Amino acid sequence: MKKSPTYLSDSRPKFEPYEIDCGTIPAYRYKGNLATELKAKHLTGTEAVAILEDMLIIRELEEMIVKLRSGAYEPIRDYNYRGPTHVSVGQEGTAAGACAALQLADNITSTHRGHGESLAKGTVAIRQMEEAQLRQRVPQFKTGGREELVEAALEEHVYRTICELFGKDDGYCRGRGGSMHIADFTVGHLGANAIVGGGVPIATGAALSNRYLQRGNVVCCFAGDGAYANGVVLESLNFAAQAQFTNHLADGLKGGLPIIFLVCNNHYGMTHRSDDEVMGVDRMARRAAGFANNNMHAEVVNGMNVLAVREAVLRAAKLCREGKGPVLLDVDCYRYWGHSLSDPRNEYRTKDEEAAWKAIDPIESYKAELINAGVTDTAGIAAVEKRVAERNARAAKRAATAADPAAEDVLTFMYTDTRCETVPAEFANPSLIGSLPEIKRVNGELTYKDALKEALVQEMARDKRVIFYGEDVADYGGAFKVTKGLMEAFGRSRVFNTPISEACICGTACGAAMNGLRPVAELMYFDFALMSSDQISNQAAKWHYMSGAQTEVPLVIRASAGAGKGYGGQHSQTLESMFCHIPGLYVVYPATPYDAKGMLKSAIRDNNPVLFVESQALYGMKGVVPEGEYLVPLGVADVKREGSDITLVAWGPVVHDCLKAADKLKAERGVSAEVIDLRSLVPLDLDTVLRSVQKTGRCVVASQAVHIGSYTGEIASTIQEKVFDYLDAPVKRVGARNGIAPQSHILEAAFLPNVNDILTAANAIL
Amino acid sequence: MATPIIMPKFGQMTEESAIVEWCKKEGEPVAKGDILFTVETDKSVMEVESFEEGTLLKIVVAPGKNVPVQSTVGFLGKPGEPVPEATVTPTVNPAAKTAPLAPPVAPPAAARGPAVAAVPILAPAPVAVPTAASAPSRFRISPRAAALARNCVIDPARIPGSGPGGRVVEKDVKAYLESRGYAHLRVTPTAKQLASKEKLDLLAITGTGESGRVTLADVERVIAERPKPMSRMRQVIAQRLTQSVVTAPHFFVTVEVDMTDLVALRAELKQKGAPYTVTDFISQAVVLTLKEFPDVNSSTDGKSIRWNSRVHLGLAVSLEQGLVVPVIRDADELSLAELNLRSRELAEKARAMKLTPDEMAGGTFTISNMGMLDVENFTAIINTGEAAILAVSSTMQKPVVRDNRVVVRSIMKMTLSSDHRLIDGAMAARFVNGIRQKLENMELWKLLTA
Ligand SMILES: Cc1ncc(C[n+]2csc(CCOP(=O)(O)OP(=O)(O)O)c2C)c(N)n1
Repeated sequence: MKKSPTYLSDSRPKFEPYEIDCGTIPAYRYKGNLATELKAKHLTGTEAVAILEDMLIIRELEEMIVKLRSGAYEPIRDYNYRGPTHVSVGQEGTAAGACAALQLADNITSTHRGHGESLAKGTVAIRQMEEAQLRQRVPQFKTGGREELVEAALEEHVYRTICELFGKDDGYCRGRGGSMHIADFTVGHLGANAIVGGGVPIATGAALSNRYLQRGNVVCCFAGDGAYANGVVLESLNFAAQAQFTNHLADGLKGGLPIIFLVCNNHYGMTHRSDDEVMGVDRMARRAAGFANNNMHAEVVNGMNVLAVREAVLRAAKLCREGKGPVLLDVDCYRYWGHSLSDPRNEYRTKDEEAAWKAIDPIESYKAELINAGVTDTAGIAAVEKRVAERNARAAKRAATAADPAAEDVLTFMYTDTRCETVPAEFANPSLIGSLPEIKRVNGELTYKDALKEALVQEMARDKRVIFYGEDVADYGGAFKVTKGLMEAFGRSRVFNTPISEACICGTACGAAMNGLRPVAELMYFDFALMSSDQISNQAAKWHYMSGAQTEVPLVIRASAGAGKGYGGQHSQTLESMFCHIPGLYVVYPATPYDAKGMLKSAIRDNNPVLFVESQALYGMKGVVPEGEYLVPLGVADVKREGSDITLVAWGPVVHDCLKAADKLKAERGVSAEVIDLRSLVPLDLDTVLRSVQKTGRCVVASQAVHIGSYTGEIASTIQEKVFDYLDAPVKRVGARNGIAPQSHILEAAFLPNVNDILTAANAIL
Repeated sequence: MATPIIMPKFGQMTEESAIVEWCKKEGEPVAKGDILFTVETDKSVMEVESFEEGTLLKIVVAPGKNVPVQSTVGFLGKPGEPVPEATVTPTVNPAAKTAPLAPPVAPPAAARGPAVAAVPILAPAPVAVPTAASAPSRFRISPRAAALARNCVIDPARIPGSGPGGRVVEKDVKAYLESRGYAHLRVTPTAKQLASKEKLDLLAITGTGESGRVTLADVERVIAERPKPMSRMRQVIAQRLTQSVVTAPHFFVTVEVDMTDLVALRAELKQKGAPYTVTDFISQAVVLTLKEFPDVNSSTDGKSIRWNSRVHLGLAVSLEQGLVVPVIRDADELSLAELNLRSRELAEKARAMKLTPDEMAGGTFTISNMGMLDVENFTAIINTGEAAILAVSSTMQKPVVRDNRVVVRSIMKMTLSSDHRLIDGAMAARFVNGIRQKLENMELWKLLTA
């Protein structure tokens, strides 16, 4: 047994006057040039030319998009490009310079303006690959040496990139993602993101995973200056810089998150000026000062100089690998075109400003360096330009005529049907920090919350990749003490408190899940899911599909629903219906201790993101829960009681009201009611419901959600759609009133559905 | 070869744009990145940079003209290079593109359905739309009960419903089946299949098979006897005639007309090529008599009497689909020849179902002639809005007494139906005899056909 991770704060008030020293942030440190770099053997001539080539590939592709809109791209003049035109011409030095400093296994995340990063991560990675890896990328390529193999892989890379932009089946994401969601997990590219800032917590979670698994990889998180006003980005900076990652709390894993927050600071959001208009800091680098005493080693970097960017990212990556992350780099660059091609630019900036930046174009100035350093001459550069233009042209021509995905496959990749059946040996049965929490059984019974704890304990003991975090879940064991004792058993690297950053909790968990872990995140109240709705709905739910199944998101978000306690409108909502409307997510809600354990275990092993709803009203409920291993499959309803006259369908606490109603119906009217606990809303076990309604001809669907827009409506309408001819009466729905949960006990009782509401609905159709 | 300069597609949804201004003149050199022209899009004014170096050889599209995106607006190249024949892209006519749908045009008369259906005299009375309160309660049955009834091939319409709002539910159907001894019902499978297809009620079919089994033949018999819906035209006829019988107290006066001489005259005239029909003579006689009896050429709403100053003579024409009554307007103004012409036209149109509503409206008196149908005598029902109708039967060879001797003459019976509210017996008698006298008066016809 290792040192106990428990810790009681024991500080003292201290009010002696002093001054906070915010330190300094260096800007434009780069002093060298290509000649000095070559001399110092920081890179070879071949590598130097490769950097030019990488920038040219980007510019050629971006100009292709611009020209396609004018029918001016000669190789495919008539191709009708449908899609975004967020081109990054002018920013090539940033993308190519940063990626040149990364290793093959390092990760990146990118943005809606991410063609550059996506291309450069790929080209750099390809040149770093072993022959076997290259052959895997171009299996059709049989002859030739390494040089030809690399060339073939580069062309394939450009081809698959353009295919993705064109929505073709050969695209990296099989045409599901497109320009703004392109990803190539084989080179560590975890995805571009069309939600401004949305990729930043994913990158942070990926870094959490790299740190936890001691991979030595860094994550370079590209995001625009505009994104650095977005809440989830600021949450991520705070999350990444937590003291507990580096101080005495950081058990075996001492070291900050290995992440480089690289601000592609082109000075504009869509059209707003960031530093002179919508923000109060002149440099985005100052953001770092707000989140870490060491200013996150922030620097301002000249993004128009590809070598300066490369050097800064090398330095940052080294810091990260040494456990000194996170690092923030404010890379000063410029976007020549507008936000998209429909932006004329002249409404918010001058021609002279543009001309001044174009005069220090990263490509043109780098060409001059290559010549000055004697690496090549104009003819040599022209040859590279020709090679790039021809390669891109060939790729574009192929892509233009490549196969589209088949229309009938529109839903392919929505969900994965894989689960973690066996844990890889390296992660199986990890050693413990302390003894497992004692879970008290009385007559074989456990409370609902202890059943949840038992599930977590068993799954964490089974698989090292399962980590658990949320607000106040560690020492305190969570607001409802569901997880008390877990931290002591598994240590702080696996069970830790997070800052109060719900979006970031869900987003980092999503990123960690996309990068090798199987996290369980806790939302103290279901209501707070709305704080993280982007990360749940736009990120976790969508990445399996948008990546064309390159990644899975084995993530569980536990959300605790708090109705009935007099906590008022912001702590009492039953919101699962909203998330059932988001394809890509699983949504489950157990109603008994037995299901709580069996379903949480299943959810953790499932490779789909699962929103796991719990009811605070049920936490104290007791029931028989076998001690050993068992799973309750997701997507299978439970017939709680068989009956022949009416079907009561419900989930969550209302299941128990339905059982009481069924008793009363039997006693008072001799009516035999069948009670079905759906347990899982997505996937939905329609079959069990429909078969029951076929038998009884009558149905009441009940949940605690407010009536309007409730998932009960989805079920009721599906019943009438599928088994209309078996209905002997309209399907009735029971839910909370169309209102806001009130504090007053009297009002809340009137607000929530109860046994009588179910009886009234049933009697109306019997 | 000169390179075309293309109007860019700035936004995914942009379909056309107009050049605001050319920033280069023809013949002026252009560097890569130079602004060639500015464009007005739906969002703003955009600058279009040149992708290539060269000379602006030709401006094809002048400022201010809307052109489709990605069409050629000019040419760039080396000085003196030939420029392709300037194919000025067709200007998009915004009006044409956004033209609203053609305004609704009144459908041609023919599109309104067969004219006959619109005969005012047969037009249906407006149907009263039941208000919500007075709406008859809809037969309610649950889908489950309906499915059971369907599977048992029975009609659930008479089953009393015990569900909410009187809805028939499954248990009601079951109780009904039991009370009707459905379990003992014997049906051959083919009979059941056909009955189900034809939506019959097995309980309403008497089985004639062995021990009362319902057989295919039983079902087929029921299908054959099943009431068919009345045609729209017959429904209108039924309604109008019923209305007449109910509101106008009819009485009937019959006379015999000796048509021997008129038939001979007609044959004689026919030889000479005159087209007159017996009906023409009758029509003429009726018109003349009506001028003498304005009471018969009148109408009433039950409270007032209106004498019609003109005679609009209806001639009932029997068609396969039913009866239509084209009206010869201002018949009292027409000569015998004109009457003949007009009635022939109308009859043809009637048979072709081409009568317009106007041609069937506004009659003041009607003749219904069944002379060609070999009938001794019949009575007709007055068309609503008129005071009387004349039923003309077949002309038959009959022994009659003339000058105390029995001779064979051509006799035709005519029966006048009169609305007693307007016409009394004596007047009806005088009127119908007036017609008879005219038909038997050869002097008159010689004069009229001369
Ligand atoms: C959450 C969200 N808000 C708004 C947008 C619309 N939008 C797309 S790009 C953009 C500007 C982003 O600016 P920045 O992060 O600086 O990146 P840049 O476009 O300059 O590369 C905006 C507002 C979005 N995609 N997502």
